[in-house]
Amino acid sequence: MQYLNDPERLMKLLTQLTHGFGTTLSIFAMTLIISLPLGMIVALGRMSRHKLISAPVSFYILIMRGTPLMLQLFAVYFFLPRLIGPIPRLNAVYIAFGLNYAAYFAEIYRGGIMSIPPGQYEAAQVLGFTRSQTFMRIILPQTVKRVLLPVSNEVITLVKDTSLATAIAVSEMFLTAKNMTSSSGSVEPLFIAGVFYLLMNAVVTAFFNFLTNRFNYYHD
Amino acid sequence: MKKLARLFALVLAMMMILSCSALAEDTSLADIKARGRLVLGLDAAFPPMGFMNDDGDIVGYDIDLAKEVCTRMGVELVCQPIEWSAKDMELSSGNIDCIWNGMTATEERQQTYSCSINYLQNAQVLVVLADSNITTLADLSGKTIALQSGSAAAEAVAANEEFSASLAGAPVEYGDYAMALMDLDNKGVDAVAMDVIVANYYITAKNANYRVLEEQLAPEFYAIGFRKADVTLTEEVNKLLKEMAADGTIAKISTQWFGSDISIVPAQ
Repeated sequence: MQYLNDPERLMKLLTQLTHGFGTTLSIFAMTLIISLPLGMIVALGRMSRHKLISAPVSFYILIMRGTPLMLQLFAVYFFLPRLIGPIPRLNAVYIAFGLNYAAYFAEIYRGGIMSIPPGQYEAAQVLGFTRSQTFMRIILPQTVKRVLLPVSNEVITLVKDTSLATAIAVSEMFLTAKNMTSSSGSVEPLFIAGVFYLLMNAVVTAFFNFLTNRFNYYHD
Repeated sequence: MKKLARLFALVLAMMMILSCSALAEDTSLADIKARGRLVLGLDAAFPPMGFMNDDGDIVGYDIDLAKEVCTRMGVELVCQPIEWSAKDMELSSGNIDCIWNGMTATEERQQTYSCSINYLQNAQVLVVLADSNITTLADLSGKTIALQSGSAAAEAVAANEEFSASLAGAPVEYGDYAMALMDLDNKGVDAVAMDVIVANYYITAKNANYRVLEEQLAPEFYAIGFRKADVTLTEEVNKLLKEMAADGTIAKISTQWFGSDISIVPAQ
C-alpha cells in the first residue's frame, strides 16, 4: 500500500487521474458524435441496391471490423500524415475511433432496419406513403427502440476501449495510471483507474435503462 | 478526367518534394533553433531516466541533462511521452526529434539512428527475488524469465543463445517493467531481464525486495537517438554534453540521481 494509506499521495494521484479522465471523456464523446450519425450513413450505403455503393461500403466495414483498432490508430497517426500533413495525436484518435465504431453501429442499425416486417412497407405503400416517408416515419422510429440494447453494448465497450489511445501515447487516464504504476512500483493506480471506468459505465448503463423505459411502447 | 490528372500531378509533385528533401543538406540543427524547441520522446515509465512523478511532471536523469542541453542551445525542451514499441515511427514521422530515455546503443540502433556519444554505462542483468536461491545464469536453466517487449534486454537474451535455449520457454514479454516485476513478486516468473540502472533504482529508492545477479547478460551503453539524417543536431548535442562534463554540471546531476558521478561523458 503506497497510496491508500497516504491521503496526501492519494489526493495527488486522484488529481492526475481526473486530469487524464478529461481526455478519456473527450475521446468517448467525440467518438459517439462522429460514429452514431456516420453509422447511419454507412448502414444505408450498405443496404443500397447499387453495387457501386454497397460493395465499397461492405469493404469498409470488413476492414474496420476485421483489423485491430490499435493497428488502425497507428495507420491514422503515422501513415495518414504522409498524405495530408501532420495530425494532432488526439485528432488521430477521434478519426480512428469514429471510423471504427461507425462500422459496428452501421451493422447494428442495418439489423434493426431489416427486422421490420416487409408487411409494413406494403401497408405504407397502400396508404400512399413515398419511400422516404415510409422510412422516416414508420421504419426509423421502430428501429430506434430495437437497436437501443445492442448500441448500449458498444457504448459500454467504448468506455473501456478509450484506453487503447495509449498506443499512440495520448495521455488519457489509463496511460497516467500506467506511468504512476511504473514510477511507484505499485498496482494501486491501475485499480483506482478501474474504479473510474466502472463508475462511468454505471452512469452509461443508467442512461440506457432510462432510454429503454422511455421507448417501451407498442409491444409487438 | 481533369480531376484525375490534377491528382496525379499532385502526387508527382509530392514525390519530388520528398526526394528533394532527402538529397538536401542537413539543416536539422538550424531547424531546431528556428523552431525554438526540441521535442524529446520518452517512455515515461522508465525511472530514474525519465518518468512521471506524483505531481504528473516528467522528471529524471535524462530530463535534467536534456533541459541543460536545451538551455545551452537556446531552445525550449518539450517532453513527449511515447509508446516505446512505436518509437521508430514517432521519430521518422517527425513527431519527436530524438529518443532520449536510457536508450541502449545496440548495434542495430546505431544503424537505424544517428546516435550521440555514449553517456552512461549500463548492463543487462537478471533480477530475482532477494530470498531466491538463484545466483548464476546457469541456475536459471529450465526456469522462466520476463522482460519488456522491444527492449535491449530482449535482444541481449536472444543474442545469448546458450542461455535462452536453457530457459523453460520463450521469455514472457510485458509492455513495461513494473508489470514484469509484479509477475516476479507473484513468482509467475523466476527472473526479470532488465537494465541494471533501473533495477538498482527500484531496489534502493523503492526498497524493493530484489537481488541483481552478478553474472551479467551484456555490458552496454546509453546514447541518444536522432534521425539518421540529423547529423548536425547530433554533433551539437555531443559538443554540449562534453562542455557540461568539463564544467561539472553532469557530475552534479548524476550525484543528484545516483548518489555519485557515474557519467561517462568525456570532458573533451
